[in-house]
Amino acid sequence: MLPISSGTPLPDRSRLRVKDAYLADALAGRAYLVFDGAMGTMLQRRNLKAGELPELLCLSDPDEITAIHREYVEAGSQVVTTNTFGANARKLGDAATVDEVFAAAITCARASGARYVAADVGPTGALLEPMGTLSFDEAYELFAEQARAAQAHGADLFIVETMTDLLEAKAAVLAVKENSDLPVFATMTFDETGRTFLGTDPTTAAIVLSSLGANAVGVNCSLGPDALAPIVQQMLAVAPCPVMVQANAGLPDLVDGRTVYSVSPDAYLKALQPMVEAGASIVGGCCGTDPEYIRREAALVAGAVPPARTVEPLCAITSAQRSVVLKGRDVGVIGERINPTGKKKLKAALREGDYDYVLGEAISQAQAGADLLDVNAGLPEIDEPAVLRELVKRIQGVSGLPLQIDSSDPVAVEAAVRAYAGKPLVNSVNGKQESLREVLPIVAHYGCAVVGLTLDEGGIPPTAEERVNIAAKIVDAAAAHGIPRQDVYIDCLVMSASTNQAEVVEILRAVTLVKERLGVRTVLGVSNVSFGLPARPIVNGTFLAAAFAAGLDLPILNPLAERYREVVDTWRVLCGQDAGSANYIAGYANRVVPAAGATPSPSATQAADAGAAEAADGETRSELYRLVVAGNKGPVPAAVESLLAETDAMEVINGHLIPALDDVGERFERGTFFLPQLMASAEAAKAGFDVIRAHSDGADEGKGPIALATVKGDIHDIGKNIVRMLLENYGYKVHDLGRDVDPQAVVDAALKYDCKIIGLSALMTTTVKAMEDTIRLLREQAPGVKVMVGGAVLTQEYADMIGADFYAKDAAESARYAGEVIG
Amino acid sequence: MRYHVSREETLRYLGYSGQRVDASLDARVDAMVARCEEVSSPGFTYRLFPVEQSEAGVRLAGTTLVLTGRDIAAHLVGARLCAVMAATAGLSNERELRRLSLLNGLDGMLFDAAGSALAEEVADACNAAIVADARDRGLYAKWRFSPGYGDLPLALQPDIVRVLAADKKLGITATDSHLLVPAKSVTAFVGLFDTPQDDKRSCANCGFAPYCSLREKGTPCYR
Repeated sequence: MLPISSGTPLPDRSRLRVKDAYLADALAGRAYLVFDGAMGTMLQRRNLKAGELPELLCLSDPDEITAIHREYVEAGSQVVTTNTFGANARKLGDAATVDEVFAAAITCARASGARYVAADVGPTGALLEPMGTLSFDEAYELFAEQARAAQAHGADLFIVETMTDLLEAKAAVLAVKENSDLPVFATMTFDETGRTFLGTDPTTAAIVLSSLGANAVGVNCSLGPDALAPIVQQMLAVAPCPVMVQANAGLPDLVDGRTVYSVSPDAYLKALQPMVEAGASIVGGCCGTDPEYIRREAALVAGAVPPARTVEPLCAITSAQRSVVLKGRDVGVIGERINPTGKKKLKAALREGDYDYVLGEAISQAQAGADLLDVNAGLPEIDEPAVLRELVKRIQGVSGLPLQIDSSDPVAVEAAVRAYAGKPLVNSVNGKQESLREVLPIVAHYGCAVVGLTLDEGGIPPTAEERVNIAAKIVDAAAAHGIPRQDVYIDCLVMSASTNQAEVVEILRAVTLVKERLGVRTVLGVSNVSFGLPARPIVNGTFLAAAFAAGLDLPILNPLAERYREVVDTWRVLCGQDAGSANYIAGYANRVVPAAGATPSPSATQAADAGAAEAADGETRSELYRLVVAGNKGPVPAAVESLLAETDAMEVINGHLIPALDDVGERFERGTFFLPQLMASAEAAKAGFDVIRAHSDGADEGKGPIALATVKGDIHDIGKNIVRMLLENYGYKVHDLGRDVDPQAVVDAALKYDCKIIGLSALMTTTVKAMEDTIRLLREQAPGVKVMVGGAVLTQEYADMIGADFYAKDAAESARYAGEVIG
Repeated sequence: MRYHVSREETLRYLGYSGQRVDASLDARVDAMVARCEEVSSPGFTYRLFPVEQSEAGVRLAGTTLVLTGRDIAAHLVGARLCAVMAATAGLSNERELRRLSLLNGLDGMLFDAAGSALAEEVADACNAAIVADARDRGLYAKWRFSPGYGDLPLALQPDIVRVLAADKKLGITATDSHLLVPAKSVTAFVGLFDTPQDDKRSCANCGFAPYCSLREKGTPCYR
C-alpha cells in the first residue's frame, strides 16, 4: 500500500483529536503527564502462568484488569495503558480477535476512572526482514488492525512501546498515523550498551520517530532509571516533542523462579528526578514497578510545570544505526556508485536481480569512507518501485550508512522510503509544480529530508540569482507541507565546464547565495563538471575543493576515487571538521607524495612468492596453479594478466584455473584440505576469473545457469553460500535466490533464467518437506531441469525419497555434478 | 560477562581434522574469532519450573509448556524441577554474519563457525548457572535437551521464547517455521533430580543416530 501516491484518504493529523486542554498542554511540553507502571508484574503476582497471553484476561477476567488499572489511578496515574501489549493477530492466533481484545481492554481501562486511556501496542514478536522473515507490510497490517480497533473502541491516545527494531516502530507509528487521528507516543528499549538489540542509538530513535510524527518519544523497559539517564539526555538533545521515560525497577533477578526487581520506590524516584529536571515530561514505570512507584512520581510532578526546552533545528539523515548530523561547516560524502546510469555491470545486475553485486558496491563505498549512499534503480525496463524498495531493504541489511533514495518516480520514492528504517534523504524534488505537488507530501508523511533541484518549467536557469529564486520557491513549498528548512538540501545543478563553461562559477556563487539567503544546506553531483574533458579526476578534484569553499555540504561523488578522498580529507582539516587533524594524520602520515616528474614503476606486484611452495607437489605446475591451490588470492590477478599476454582466456581457465580447482577438490575429498582451504582456493580462483571476465568485456556470461535456494521455512544459508561460491569459481552463472524461498519462486526462477540445474539446501529435518514440495512443483512446471540437493540432515536415501536427481554431500560434489550435467 | 570464543571449537565446526593450515588462513581464523568476540552481544536466561508428567506430555507447572514426545518424557522421568533456558550470541552477531557473508564467503564461513562456538559457549555458561542453582537446592542436573533432539518438536520454540520473555530479554524470536533468530541461539530443557545424573549427551540415545551425517564425519552435534 502506498497511500500518498495512490491518493488514499488519510486521517487529518494536522487536526489531531486531543481529548482536552490538559492533554494538549502535555503534548506541547507545557504539562507533565503521569502514566502507569507495569501490568505484567501485577499479573504475575496474581499467578499468571508463564507463556500465557495476559491480554486474554481482558475477556476472561475483566474485573481483575480493571482493579489493577484502578490501583494505578488511585496512586496518581493520569494515563492508564490498556492490557494489549501482545494483542496482535500473530500472537493471539485463534484465541481471540484483535478487535474483541481491544474492545474489552479499553472498557477495563475506562472503568478504572482514568483521565486518559492509552492503547498499548507492543512488538509483533517476529523479527522483520532482512534479518528475520516478517515483511514490513505484514508488520504494518498487524499494527493497523490494532490501530483501527483502538480507534473504534474509544482510546484517547496510542503508546507504541518496548520496540527494539526501529523499522518495526516505524511500521507501528505509520499504522497509527494512517488509521487514527489520535496522538501517538513511541518508546524504544535499550540495553547496557546504550543501543537497542538491533543497534539503534537513542539519538537516531528520537530523530526518526519524531520526524515520522510521533507526538512524544522516549525509552522504556530493560534497564533501571539510573541506566536510562544518559539515554534520556541524548533524546532530550534532539527531540522537538516531549520525551517520556518508563524505566524498570532495576534489572530483573530470578529468585526462586520469580522475577524480582531490586530498585525500591524511593531509589527509583531519586534516579528519576534529574531526568525530570532535565526536561523529561512524561513519566511512568515498566517491569517491576507498581502503584507505590507511581504514587511518588505523581507527587514529584504535582502542580509543577516542565522546564522550557529549546532544541536546535537539526540537519540529520539517518539509517537505523547511525545519524549523520551536519553541524557548522561539516561536510558529508554521498557515495554515487549505486546508480545504473553509464554503468554496464550495475545495469545487468539490476536487470537480473543480482542484488549481491549491488551490496558489494554498498560495502566498498562504506569502507572507502562514504557517509551516505545514493541508491538509484532507474532503468526503463525494470519495475523501479519494486527494485528500489528491495535494494533499500537489502542494503540496510549490510551497511549502517544512511541512504539517499534517488528516483524521479514518486511511486518508487514512496515504495522505498515507506519501508526504510531511518530518516532518508529523498533525491529529489524540483521547482516544477507537478514535482512539488507529488513529491513533498511523501517527504512530509514519512518524515524524510529532501534534495531540491534548482530547475523548473523553464529548465535550468543560467544565473545564480535565478537558481536561488527556484530554491526559495522549493523551501517555501516544503514549509507549506510542514517540512522544516533544515530538512531541505538544495542542489544547484552542476553543468559541464566543456559545454557551459560560463556557468561553473555561477553554480559556485549560487551555492553560497542559497546558504546565505535561505539558510539551507546544499548538495552537488560533482563529477558532471568534467564531462567531455580529459583527465576528469583532476578537474573534479579542483571543482570539489572550490565547491567546498563556496559552501557545499554534501557532495555526491565516487568515494573510491583517490583524488576525491584527498580533497575531502584535506578539506575536513581546513574547515575544522577533522579536529586536531587526527584523521588526516592517521591516514596520510606515511604517504609519499611523488616528486615532480617521477613516474610510478609498472607492475611492481609480481614479486610475491605466494607461499606457493606449500602447494608445489608438481614442479611443472604454473604459478597461477600454485597460487590457487595455496588459496593465495593477492598475486592471482597479476599471474592471470601475465598468462593472458601469451595465451588465450580458455587456456588460462582450462589449463590452469580448473585443474587447480580440481586438485583442491581432490585434496578436500582425501581430507588433506578442510573446508576453509577449499574456500580460500575458490576465492583465489575467483580473483582470476574476474580478470578474465574483465578482458572478455562482459561477453562471457558463464556456463549454466544454475539457481540455488535455501528452501521455504529454512534460514540457514551458509552451506548454500559455499556451494554458490564454488560454482561461480568453476565459471558457472549462478542465480542465488536466497533463503526461506517459496517453492513457486524457485520454479519461476528456473523458467525465467532457463536453468539447467536447481540446487536446494535444507538444514533441518523439518524443512526437508519444503524441499520435497519444491521438487514436486519443479517436476510439474519445469520438467527439464535437474535438481541437486544438500544440507546437514540429507542423505542419499532422503534425496532419493524426495525425488532429487543428485545428492551433493559437500560443495565439491556439487561442482562435480554441474560438470557432468553442463560441462 | 565476557566470553571467550574457542578457536579449537571454531575449527571443529569447520570440519578441521589436523590439516596443515598455512599462515594466512590461520590469521583469518584468528581475525574472525576476534571479530566474533568483539561484535557479538551474548546473553542467556533461564527459569525453573516443577515437572508434572501427564497423558499429553510433560507439563511444566506454572507455564503453558507441554513437552511432547517419548524422548523428553524419558529424559525427565523422576525430575523434580526442569530448567527452561535460552542462550544466544545476539542479534549483532547475526547482523555481522549477514554482512560478512556478502563481503567475503570465506570470512562469512569462519565467522559463522565462530558464532556457533560462541552460542555453545553461552549455552554452557547458562547450563553451569543452572547446575549451580540446582546444587544450592540440593538437586543434580542432567544434560541439556533441546527442541529438535529426538522427537521433541521444534514447534516448542515460540512457546519457550514466550515463557522466558526471551524476545524482550535477549532479542530472540521464532520464525513461523519455528527456527530461532538469531540463528546462533540455543534453547533447552535441563532436568533437576534428587540424585546425581549422567550429564553427558551421546549418540546412544538419539533416534537419528543411524542416519546422522554429522556422526559419520566424527563431528556429532554435541561435544
